[in-house]
Amino acid sequence: MIARFLEPRDLDEACRTLAGDEWGAKVISGGTALVLMMRQGLVVPSTLVSIGHFDALRGIRREGSRMWIGSRTTHTAIATSANMLTWLPSLAEACRSVGNIRIRNVGTIGGNLAEADYASDPPTVLVGLDAVCHVIGPEGERQVPVADLATGFYATSLQPGEIITGLSVLLDPNRVYAYEKYVSRSSEDRPCVGVATMARFDGNRLERLSVVVGAVAPVPQRFEQITEQAVGTSLDDRVRRDIARAIADAIDPIEDGRGSAWYRRRITAVLVRRALERVSQ
Amino acid sequence: MPDAAERVVGTLMYTVDHSIEGMVHGKLVRSPYPHATILAVDISRAQASEGVLRVITGADIAAAAEIPNPLFGLARRDQPPLAMEKVRYAGDPVALVVADTPANARAAAESVMIDYDELPFVVDPEQALASGAPVLHELWPGNECGEWRLETGDTDGAMAAAEHLFESEYHSPMASPVPFEPHVAVAVWEGNSLDIWTATQWPAAVQGELAHMFDVSTERVRVRTFPLGGGYGSKSQLKIEPVVAAAARMMGRPVRVELDRDEVFLTVAKHPAKMWIRTGVDASGRFVAREMDLLYNGGAYAVLTPKAVAQGMLRSVGPYRFPNMRIRSRGVYTNTVPSGSFRGAMTNQCAFAYESHVDEIATGLGIDPVELRLKNLSCDGDRFATGQVMHDVHFHELVQDVTQVIGWNDSEPPPMSGRARGKGMAVILKTTAPGSRSEVRVELFADGRVLVHTSSVDMGQGVLGTLAQLTAHHLGVDFEAVTVLDPDTAATFDSMTAGSRTTHVADRAIREACESIRAQLALFAAEQMGVDPSELRFEAGSVAGPRGERLRYSEIVGRARVSAVVGEGVYQSAPSDALNEPPDVRGVVADHWHQGAVAVEVEVDLETGKVELQRCHGAAWAGRVVNPIRARQQSEGSIIFGIGPALFEELVVVDGQVSNPNLSDYMIPSILDVPIELTSSSLESADPDADIHGVGEMTIPAVAPAIANAIARATGARIRHLPLTPERVLRAILGAEQV
Repeated sequence: MIARFLEPRDLDEACRTLAGDEWGAKVISGGTALVLMMRQGLVVPSTLVSIGHFDALRGIRREGSRMWIGSRTTHTAIATSANMLTWLPSLAEACRSVGNIRIRNVGTIGGNLAEADYASDPPTVLVGLDAVCHVIGPEGERQVPVADLATGFYATSLQPGEIITGLSVLLDPNRVYAYEKYVSRSSEDRPCVGVATMARFDGNRLERLSVVVGAVAPVPQRFEQITEQAVGTSLDDRVRRDIARAIADAIDPIEDGRGSAWYRRRITAVLVRRALERVSQ
Repeated sequence: MPDAAERVVGTLMYTVDHSIEGMVHGKLVRSPYPHATILAVDISRAQASEGVLRVITGADIAAAAEIPNPLFGLARRDQPPLAMEKVRYAGDPVALVVADTPANARAAAESVMIDYDELPFVVDPEQALASGAPVLHELWPGNECGEWRLETGDTDGAMAAAEHLFESEYHSPMASPVPFEPHVAVAVWEGNSLDIWTATQWPAAVQGELAHMFDVSTERVRVRTFPLGGGYGSKSQLKIEPVVAAAARMMGRPVRVELDRDEVFLTVAKHPAKMWIRTGVDASGRFVAREMDLLYNGGAYAVLTPKAVAQGMLRSVGPYRFPNMRIRSRGVYTNTVPSGSFRGAMTNQCAFAYESHVDEIATGLGIDPVELRLKNLSCDGDRFATGQVMHDVHFHELVQDVTQVIGWNDSEPPPMSGRARGKGMAVILKTTAPGSRSEVRVELFADGRVLVHTSSVDMGQGVLGTLAQLTAHHLGVDFEAVTVLDPDTAATFDSMTAGSRTTHVADRAIREACESIRAQLALFAAEQMGVDPSELRFEAGSVAGPRGERLRYSEIVGRARVSAVVGEGVYQSAPSDALNEPPDVRGVVADHWHQGAVAVEVEVDLETGKVELQRCHGAAWAGRVVNPIRARQQSEGSIIFGIGPALFEELVVVDGQVSNPNLSDYMIPSILDVPIELTSSSLESADPDADIHGVGEMTIPAVAPAIANAIARATGARIRHLPLTPERVLRAILGAEQV
């Protein structure tokens, strides 16, 4: 089947078209994921609804205590933005590690989230940042925490006709972030394991900690019960190792070409510890 | 490379860019089952689809009077253009949908309905050899696909007397050559004559086999190709040419087929192999006996496997002296992707085995692996295991070069905590086929232009530049005056562009052609100057007489009133009957010996098992270097190519299906995987007329064993399965700790 390529006048028309053909119409932005899936016959859309011409969906802006990132913003734009490098360096780092420069120049952050590939870098970081996804649909606008967006392998909580317009992240100058990515094959591979950490200290005392582990399960996983126990400590080496071991025990890893469940569990322990070392410094 | 600018800006014509008037487009329908009987093919819906001109099945081809010999294959004619009666692997082409556009053909291909009756299948070569295994081809009921033996001396006696015995088994998986340009061909018939443009490394083989298929004389089949967007062996032998030529024949119009990326993965793969080795060593560390059992998985069709496993056996001897040796090498049919050439063909698997094994012996004896190698390497005048006396052998120099550059005995600063560092090396031998032939025709025109007709295929290795340079050198003209034409079987014959043979053979053929031209120029010039030919001297682009008179080549040709002065040259390596009759091989098995070595330094993350290549140096015996830049690109490109199968490339078969036929799941090295320090040497003879040795594959077979040896020296962990994935390394490290 040869898909029809549609450039709607506005987002309203885009949403209505998508909602009117729930199975046949697909939204296309950078196309780096969708076109690959079409080439492999995994999706066979009859209509491609382009949002590539909506410039309002592109860009990075600081709005008071929040950072706004348009869904059409490319990985390269995020990886090289001064705002990002200052305020959200781990997101910049994650976007810099996606695919290769040709993918990063075209692929968009909204497309990355909507694809909901389990082996991906930005969602892990965004879940750790408590980022919120702004969505528009036939019923109007709504907000969904990124943590609630992906519901399984390549599945999201987006409703028919809904399009991600952007992301917002609450900024906190007292937080430190790190993203550790581990690849087991080519340097351009998707993550075998990805770990995003965020810590806030009051002097030496840990006030808040979050650890999100991606690429080991259908969706990124956060381990609040484990990380809460570290609050009040100085996050020293012993604590970091304890957390790493506890998280590695808590995950239920998948197996794929990048590594077995056994291997992912071991790497998770190593990577969580390394990511915690980075936010401890 | 004379076409470098064209390649960079994208104007160079590849076969994939070629179109001809009136051509229509075919899309193959492939079997989803690894082994099944075809019960019925319903083409009615596809036939009625938009733009569809015809749907062709294996039964149609079997019934076509104009295709009297539909089965093809260079070693065994066991492969149909489209599956007839049954499919033998998941991916076996079953039907061809031909339509006005590629998109219409693709869309209609989905509506070809095929009923199958699934048969038991086998993907493991040992299981395929067991009694009661599913049979792929009735003519070969044991699934055997070639068996060869090599025996010299008294191996059992020497093993019994040996001071030490070492024994191991090594495994190489299925891998894919991954050329950037997919397989693509366009065919058109005029009467009983076929014109086919195809991305092939072996135009002459395509010509001969298609002539047989359609029962026409070879002159009626004309095969042309443009520079290939990568070959690496995948475009050797025949691939899609038979089905494209058959469709064009049956439809009476030009047909083009271009494979999708997943289809390239399903068309040809590197032979998976299992190799068992036992070595007897005396008290002084000399190898006294070697026994090997090589088992190659040939996949669903023979392609070249019955002959290739003989080459694998010869190459498994390696660069060492063994007074007593016994090797058995077998190929086996299984229900997987047909195995074919892969850069360093039939050598990579055995080099990984025997060079890992040498380091294991050194470890067992407690001596340095380089010292062990130097003690046992073959020298000029030694007899190869088949009895052939070896000449032009330089393994000691290669080992000295790579160990010196890598600083084998230098102590390095300790790595960061949690990491281990080690150096490893490997040295390899590759045989070269006897009895191969290359023809060249060189034409010198009155305007000074020189045209070179050849059927050597440029596949990125820079053949066009190399042949132009050799012609300029031997004829005594400017490089810029020389144009090398794309391969055309109507112009010249060339056995193949494979096996790192082209520069070696083309040098001799071009020299002969140029000598003929110079002899003719001398006769013309002598007549034009009124002197005796013996009084003439050749200078750059001109001929000088005894009284200081000088005629440029172009003037000589012009005054001679000929359209061009033409010289022909032929290179024919001495044929040998050593490999004519299986299973035993004796005598001359190589025209000359390919020799290479690699040394690496790696760092291993002891927590993850991840291997980082820090430094890598390769060396090839070149004899005489034609172009130092291209020689370096071949040796270093070959190393980069080898990093993938060494560290992570594997075509994975699950339930009889290739599970990763795409470039996201089958990853090849990126530039970030290339070691920062990557260098190479092309070792030359002091003799300016020394034989040119090919350098296209001299380093790749040594890459994987060098890395495996470095990992073992860094961590104590010995890994006998490729690829050397971080998970395998980590498991081996943990295993070694527990011991």
